[in-house]
Amino acid sequence: MIKKFKVSVMIMYFFLLLVFAFMLIPFVWLIISSFRPNADLFNAPFAIPEKLSFENYIAVFQSHPMLLYFGNSVAIAFLVTVITIFAAVMASYACIHRFRVKPGILLLFSLGLFIPTNAFMVPYYVLINRIGLYDNILGIALVYAGINFPMSFMVIKGYMDTIPAELKEAACIDGAKARQVLMKVILPISVPGIVTACVFIVINSWNELLFANLLNQSDKSRTIQVAIRSFLTTFEANYAYAFAAMVVTILPTIIIYALLTDKIIGGMTAGSVKG
Amino acid sequence: MKKRQYSIYLAPAIILTLVFYIFPLLYLCYVSLFQWDGLGPMKFVSTQNFQKVLADRVFQSAFKNTLIWILSALFLHIPLGIVLALMLSRKPKGWKLMRIMYFVPNVISTTAIAFLWYFIFHVDVGLINNVLKAVGLGNLAHPWLNSLDTALISSQIPFILYVGLTMVIFLTQLSTIPESLYEAAEVDGANGLKRDFYISLPLMKPAIATNILLNTAFCLRNFEYPFLMTGGGPANKTTNLSLYIYRQMINANKYGVSMAAGVITVIMGFCIMYSVSLIGKERKGKTYD
Repeated sequence: MIKKFKVSVMIMYFFLLLVFAFMLIPFVWLIISSFRPNADLFNAPFAIPEKLSFENYIAVFQSHPMLLYFGNSVAIAFLVTVITIFAAVMASYACIHRFRVKPGILLLFSLGLFIPTNAFMVPYYVLINRIGLYDNILGIALVYAGINFPMSFMVIKGYMDTIPAELKEAACIDGAKARQVLMKVILPISVPGIVTACVFIVINSWNELLFANLLNQSDKSRTIQVAIRSFLTTFEANYAYAFAAMVVTILPTIIIYALLTDKIIGGMTAGSVKG
Repeated sequence: MKKRQYSIYLAPAIILTLVFYIFPLLYLCYVSLFQWDGLGPMKFVSTQNFQKVLADRVFQSAFKNTLIWILSALFLHIPLGIVLALMLSRKPKGWKLMRIMYFVPNVISTTAIAFLWYFIFHVDVGLINNVLKAVGLGNLAHPWLNSLDTALISSQIPFILYVGLTMVIFLTQLSTIPESLYEAAEVDGANGLKRDFYISLPLMKPAIATNILLNTAFCLRNFEYPFLMTGGGPANKTTNLSLYIYRQMINANKYGVSMAAGVITVIMGFCIMYSVSLIGKERKGKTYD
């Protein structure tokens, strides 16, 4: 009995570490390769580098306004989060009450969950052009807000639904106004749900390439994702530069994640079990 | 709350939904009936665009590949997430660190991951071919992303492998199962795998439904992997619906055709997502205690 138990534990560890290796070795390889000259990569791609050099990184920063691209991506992620969370929290708060057209409203909001928005390439393109926000981070952010709204609404409303009705009633009896009930009672309790939604929104808008590419023309609205895509064409022959550019783009998110791990994982673990 | 207050609270959300879902949907259906290059005048062609799309070999291939992506989510990605979550829920040594590390790829952009794996599968500088050569299996080295038989599965590998988010959603559900249930089962002699099959798995159904919904949605809108890793090639073996719509719009300037493909994608997506959500709804309302 005891022996059998140990074998199963060993198989489990072996499997966990195997997946772990498959997931993370590519990133280690990427980081090592980014410090090596291009010629080395072709001659001995798998060797341990003899010396590490920052040459690739310097070249990337000299040839491209990386900080501008990075700033654009941060600004877009921030705008999307603010717009989407604002709309989702307000609507969720209204929807924990009963009112006559509520089923219709819920249907309207959940419609987006069932629509693959990439089918809207032309409509979004035309729309953003018409309102004059083509090649503008606000245009990209608005499209992302639209795309992310249904999911965020479902997560936040799902969380608010679990708040006991007595709590809201108690607040109302005390004579509190709707806005005060939201700010003082509902919002503080809903934090885990809102964190989950924020994580989804930030990850989605940070990762997005399709619409960022479609709605962008010049450097002033180029996101970091669109930028690394262009590296493969401009640095075609020089993979080492492309590797360095990729490390530069993934490092910030990893640092943020490292700093906020508990909030992200913990926040989600506390709030995302809504079937 | 009073009537007027409801409308104020609902207004931002309603505006977002009307502008980014209802308007595009109507516009999509309407313009898909026209021949249009994006700039010049539109010419009404009735259902010709749809006929063209449905007869297009590339579209058929894109449709099939999108379905294969969804199948890979259902039968590879989600099961891997379940296995890892069940293992970590036993709280083996270092489980917290592993949970954190498994999630790392999810904070890295799909674009970067797609490029990274493009290089990993690369014929000359690629990690895989070089590892194969180093361990004496050089004859297995292969242009993974350029051969007809391996291109599609190779471009799916990063998606299948990076299950961090899926796993965390499962772990979240597992953490809500009361410990007393497992203790009771232990008294009845249910240990190890039995515990997984008879207690954990049935109680994970809401999370499974959530994950099917999330991952199906991802596969339907997935664009980065085929666009960056293979460009849809070789011979359209890896083209999917997003890439088809994009190509018709940007490369061919056939906005009408692109939108007809969009309409078909919306209908297909709606049917799939709606049936998945019905499965999820059936499980709702069950409590564990």
